[in-house]
Amino acid sequence: MEPIKTEIVVVGGGPGGYAAAFYAADKGKKVILVERDKRLGGVCLQCGCIPSKALLHATELIRETEISNQRGIVFGQPKVNLEKLRGWKNSIVEKLAQGLAGLCEKRGVEFLQGRGHFEDSQSLRVETSKGQKFISYEKAIIAVGSRPALPPAFDLGNKRVMTSTEALELEEIPKNLLVVGGGYIGMELGTVYATLGSSVVVTEALPSILTGVDSDLARPVMRYAEKAFKEVRLNAKVAKMATSGKQIKVTLSANGKQKEENYDRVLVSVGRLPNCKDLGLENTKAVLDDKGFIQVNAQMQTADDAIYAIGDVVGGALLAHKASKEARVAVESILGEASGMENVVIPAVVFTDPEVAWCGLTETEAKQKGVQVQVARFPWAASGRAMTLDRPDGLTKLMIDPESERVLGVGIVGSRAGELISEGVLAVEMGATARDIAESVHPHPTLSETLMEAAEVFYGYPTHTFTQKKRTPLP
Amino acid sequence: MDVRVPRLAEGVESATVANILVAPGDRIEKDQVILELETEKAVGPIPSPASGQVAKIHVKPGDEVNVGQALITLAQEGAVIEKAPAPEKKSPPAGEQKIRPAASPQLQKVPAGEPSGADQYRYQSAAGAPPPASPSVRKIARELGIDLNRVKGSERGGRITIADLKNYVEQLQHGTAPASAPEPAAKPAAPAIDFSRWGPVQKKPLSSIRRTIGQRMYESWSTIPHVTQLEDVDITHVGNLRKEYGPSLAKKDKHLTLTPFVLKAVVAALKKYPIFNSSLDESTGEVVFKNYFHIGVAVDTEAGLIVPVLRDVDKKNLADLAQELNELVERTRKRKVSLDELQGGSFTISNQGGIGGGHFTPIINKPEVAVLGIGRSALKPVVKDGKIEARAVLPIALSYDHRVMDGADAVRFITQLIATLENFPERELKG
Repeated sequence: MEPIKTEIVVVGGGPGGYAAAFYAADKGKKVILVERDKRLGGVCLQCGCIPSKALLHATELIRETEISNQRGIVFGQPKVNLEKLRGWKNSIVEKLAQGLAGLCEKRGVEFLQGRGHFEDSQSLRVETSKGQKFISYEKAIIAVGSRPALPPAFDLGNKRVMTSTEALELEEIPKNLLVVGGGYIGMELGTVYATLGSSVVVTEALPSILTGVDSDLARPVMRYAEKAFKEVRLNAKVAKMATSGKQIKVTLSANGKQKEENYDRVLVSVGRLPNCKDLGLENTKAVLDDKGFIQVNAQMQTADDAIYAIGDVVGGALLAHKASKEARVAVESILGEASGMENVVIPAVVFTDPEVAWCGLTETEAKQKGVQVQVARFPWAASGRAMTLDRPDGLTKLMIDPESERVLGVGIVGSRAGELISEGVLAVEMGATARDIAESVHPHPTLSETLMEAAEVFYGYPTHTFTQKKRTPLP
Repeated sequence: MDVRVPRLAEGVESATVANILVAPGDRIEKDQVILELETEKAVGPIPSPASGQVAKIHVKPGDEVNVGQALITLAQEGAVIEKAPAPEKKSPPAGEQKIRPAASPQLQKVPAGEPSGADQYRYQSAAGAPPPASPSVRKIARELGIDLNRVKGSERGGRITIADLKNYVEQLQHGTAPASAPEPAAKPAAPAIDFSRWGPVQKKPLSSIRRTIGQRMYESWSTIPHVTQLEDVDITHVGNLRKEYGPSLAKKDKHLTLTPFVLKAVVAALKKYPIFNSSLDESTGEVVFKNYFHIGVAVDTEAGLIVPVLRDVDKKNLADLAQELNELVERTRKRKVSLDELQGGSFTISNQGGIGGGHFTPIINKPEVAVLGIGRSALKPVVKDGKIEARAVLPIALSYDHRVMDGADAVRFITQLIATLENFPERELKG
């Protein structure tokens, strides 16, 4: 059979893969995009970022009505039509997927549904519903992503043990839900289910939730969880799970003691694994690192000259926007342009209640690396806008190099932190100083002022809070 | 011991490895040529300063090397050396892939390694942060292959702006502090066009000499306001002189072409109008008049244009000049001309007549202020003493720097030149 010839083949249609395919096509390349699912969008769109944010938004209203009652506008008990909620969520996914399909077609990117398998460094076999197809390419970009980890001990073949994928399907609202793993996925989905009425217990093996997040940024989330969840158990491990009638019997160990508990459902959110298996990488020169991610250089090129890899499959932060940026770097490198994934600021957002967002250097990292930074904090209790939103439980902080006054990192916890962090990204990318932020007028009353005021804290003259620390005269 | 790049010539700090003539394991003698370096406009052989066995070769053809850089390592007597291993093809590890600079004439050539003029500044951050610069500035630096750690930022917190980057590149290019007069902003790199969309293509990198020519021409063309004066010269008389004296000189291996006549006539005009034998010192605003007459002669070689210089043209007779010119052209075509012979010209002649050509607009060979272009002579009807005669007419073109002289000067100069050629003194051939 004559192979299909193309300049670039992209394997995987998530936010890394489709971004790469579209960009390469826009740059005049002939591109084939291979995706095993019938829809584009990958985990992000099908069972990740988008559906989880839809559910978080929908349930936020319930949380809001509860607070509203204290403000004198009283709502009755909300009725949840799970089918309708699921339908609305799915319609968003469908619309966005159709949009991607249209964008693909308009660009002349050939979409091929099937599983890709490398035969050698220059050819890919694709298993489609209509049999095998062979693609002979000049360059390949692997963007096959990752999947939720489900340790074998928890894999009972019982639908009551869910990963994020199943949890987002929202089959039912379990009375009791155990969330194994207090990372961002567990905390976000725990919030959704708790708001919908589940009694949620989170267990985390480590001493804190949201590991890696600065403790002052994680604290408001912990405070919320303590209130909204039945329990957050730290330093606790799940030893065993077993099916017990219509429930799951879970053996937990904490402080050296073991106890058994029954849950209607369990969400396992203990991390994600790269989808490197069955790709035929052994037929190429590409190599994996010790954690099973594909090794690439700053140009996103694997050890095989003809093959590039981007997104979750190469490790680092498993985030859609990281994948999309890497897509650009890979395509530019293939085109012979000067490009590289070096000193790129990748922001992170946790969509809990309140949201946590950060970029650049974190305070934790600075301590670990022994880097001298001055941290300027502005508590949202001093923000007029936060008060009017009834969300004073926030904090904006800047990690500043005391000598050059350059902003090295930004951390925010609070309502809409995910939207606010972009200013921080721009500041860090531009090499802005705290003075640059302090002297840029921010509109009043908005939450964005907290960035300006945090910068003013560094110099010692914030308007809306008082500090007795350093006062730097204006130059 | 290491064999290093020797001092090449005045003001020449880097070169490109053209050929490597030895392999690891080879036994070589003192003064044996080990490799050839392409510098400025010539290829120079690099002899070994000692005898020994080649232990390691540190460079490969196409590498840009700087004065003092190690080229090969010579082993002491008796040391055991492995034969040249098969070259290992390996994909570059993370972060080591060579970045190709995009075409950007103003900011093109950035010598690797230590710049002679730039200071030894290095960005330092206790936080281990990269030098502060916006993503767009970082992208341009990447395209040009510039390490931003070496660029001093002028903004708050040491932030590097596009202007800082430009200043740095100018420092590298000139080896001096940035000139006070701002130069026009760098043109953005032209977007890459994929020509293979329209048919088969082949790609070949610009040779080092081609890049040098391009850089020089761009520099001259974009900084000097050129005016070109076009004239015709009746060289029937010169032709007659060549017919009369040529055969006897040819027996002495002195081929009497048109160029020696033009050289002599040009020097006569330069003596009368010394402004054409000057240079403009842009940093001080002074005109430097030269009391010597070293004339550059453009030579068409396989690799591209090379301009060797004939020294003291005023002090040599026509026959000797003819012989010296032939030798120089011959050596230039074989790329055997030394770097010193490519420098110090005060005026340039570009004679296309051997190939053909009419009037054209030559580009001034900066820092000179004028250049004479010559086409091919042809018999043309000329009105002489009221009668039409067939005369040998030579198209000539004088480009000059309008900052230094005006049109009237050019007309005076070229009129003098024409007069000398049309009435070329026969005594010059008898000396």
